[in-house]
Amino acid sequence: MPLLRMRDATFVRGDCRAGPITLDLQRGDRAALVLNSSREAAIAARLACGIVKASSGTVLIGDYDPRVQSVHCKRIAALVPHEPAALHAGDFSRYVKYRAALWNVDEANALRAAAVARQRLRSMHAAFALPLIGALIGNPQLVVLDRPQAAYAADMLALLEAKTIFFTHTSDVEAAAFGPFAPRARLRA
Amino acid sequence: MRARPFVAIVAARLYAELGTIEFTLLAALLVGMLAPQGLAGPIAFCCLAGIAVALAASPGRRPHLDHCEQSAPLFGRELARAKASAPCIAAVLTATAYLGAAQTRGGSGTPFAAPVVLSAVVACTLVALCAAIRRGLPRALYLGVAVAAGAAAYSIAAVAGCVWGELLFCAVAAFFAVRQYGEALARYDPM
Repeated sequence: MPLLRMRDATFVRGDCRAGPITLDLQRGDRAALVLNSSREAAIAARLACGIVKASSGTVLIGDYDPRVQSVHCKRIAALVPHEPAALHAGDFSRYVKYRAALWNVDEANALRAAAVARQRLRSMHAAFALPLIGALIGNPQLVVLDRPQAAYAADMLALLEAKTIFFTHTSDVEAAAFGPFAPRARLRA
Repeated sequence: MRARPFVAIVAARLYAELGTIEFTLLAALLVGMLAPQGLAGPIAFCCLAGIAVALAASPGRRPHLDHCEQSAPLFGRELARAKASAPCIAAVLTATAYLGAAQTRGGSGTPFAAPVVLSAVVACTLVALCAAIRRGLPRALYLGVAVAAGAAAYSIAAVAGCVWGELLFCAVAAFFAVRQYGEALARYDPM
């Protein structure tokens, strides 16, 4: 059973349009979706983790429909946004405690796991590292990375080794930095 | 709602808007000393301050908080209650500072001034929150409704002299505003 299933998923709201996207992502898989614009990539990433709802078509995250069970979907999938957070190294423990409270996970364990993750991402700027570490606090099964920074590809992939990962990109060159993917997992909307 | 996410959201929002809150508190102390008499001053000033802190919670001003709240496994109504509490706390602190400053200059001279002002401010802030997640004409309309709610509260309490009526009006307005905010947040699309 796929962890993420999208069938002709389309998002239309005013000028914003993305899709139709069709894909199946199995547990442990890695897939990259190359889109034409940054906005489409941002929408596709948010569709894949249930933050925005498809205007037409179907999105199922672990068999849950984000239109009616968005809370379940958000426990399964976590988004790492493209935009850096306005956070500094000094915000680390406050940010981790805040996210641990939102996901209702044990604070001490979250801080311990986040410290280990930060150590592994020590070359990464806090503005990029903290959202990624924060996304892992709820122990999601699926991590969705919206246009991740190719410069940090090796560190990110090492940290997310055992996770199911879905990337959105705007160019094949960026996507290649996070490869290799299984042939069927390299997609184009 | 579980208390932990609620407290985390309220604390994070208040911390993020600390500068705005400090400014409104200082302004409330100053205006409270300059215009201590009557209900018009405290209701008008504190309602405007409430609208300002409600609009400060608009999406896009604190993107990383918005992102965390949108991706957290919370129901729309849970998120609405938590997000509505932070501006209400800030507005209540502002009204308390105003009334405290007015008290040092002889008080407002009106019985039940504190409950009247506090209820008007909370209702006005909650209605203004509905404007914070909208754009264009709906935003302007909700801001108009927020101002009208403050004016209606003043009219009922000061002009008609019915304190209980004002409290009831504000309770009903606040209830519907929170429900509306929750529904709007549940349908809210960050794109």
